[in-house]
Amino acid sequence: MNKAKMIFNQTLMISTGILFGVGVQTALQFLANGNTSFQWQWYIPLSIIFAGFLCSLATLFLTYDDVSGRSEGYLRVCLHFIAVFAIVSLCGYLFGWYTALDEYIPIVIMYVIIYAFVWISSNWMLKSDEKKINKAIDEIRDEE
Amino acid sequence: MKVELKQASSYDDEGAVIRAVSVTDDIRNAIDILKNNGLSIPAIMDGTTVMIKAGSIYYVESVDKRTYIYTKDGCFETKYRLYELEDILGVNFLRCSKAMIVNIRKIRSVKAEMNARMNAELLNGERLIISRGYVKELKRKLGV
Repeated sequence: MNKAKMIFNQTLMISTGILFGVGVQTALQFLANGNTSFQWQWYIPLSIIFAGFLCSLATLFLTYDDVSGRSEGYLRVCLHFIAVFAIVSLCGYLFGWYTALDEYIPIVIMYVIIYAFVWISSNWMLKSDEKKINKAIDEIRDEE
Repeated sequence: MKVELKQASSYDDEGAVIRAVSVTDDIRNAIDILKNNGLSIPAIMDGTTVMIKAGSIYYVESVDKRTYIYTKDGCFETKYRLYELEDILGVNFLRCSKAMIVNIRKIRSVKAEMNARMNAELLNGERLIISRGYVKELKRKLGV
């Protein structure tokens, strides 16, 4: 059940991340060229959710289980970064999110920025939890 | 001694205040019981059955369908299963992984690790991993 919930949450988060990327891209196009509208094929919104779902599976297989050490942890993060990047690139290619290199490069840049943002903010929240837990433990700890 | 009982609205609000001229044995026993230290678990060490106070337990581990209790004095085997001890030991104890229960009052500090898990250092210097699924429960128990 936890895994199903995790897949659902990840799908929503990644889909939102991709939509955010599209939003930034269209805003930049508006600022640069004055484009006030853009058109999508009927399957594009579904393809974004499908890509989110595939990325959540990568998260499930590569980061859900406990790791045995720090180096394995970093290795899994690297593999996860590559796997999610490959999924986004493949989905983008198959569903026509980009048709040329100049359309692909902004996707790559946005992917790196969003991944780094999620990674840094997750770690920041974890560190915040660490401080709160340690403070609470200080108050109830036995004396030895 | 006059005893007054007031209804608490939640488990988090439960608490006891003892007003006493001096700390007698009776009061010490009452404190032990209130702190869950009064509860004892039968366990075996070197073929001898001993009673282990819940408050002296650092952690409990299940290995190959056997359950071991770790205290400052050593390792004891018990006939209880891990899930039974989880119910018996009560609020000061936390399931920190599939095969382990830790006494929260024996944790010196926690450190956030990759993969959203926590590394807990106990008062005896041992280190345990609190899996990501159980960090949420730890936060709930500590009220953070």
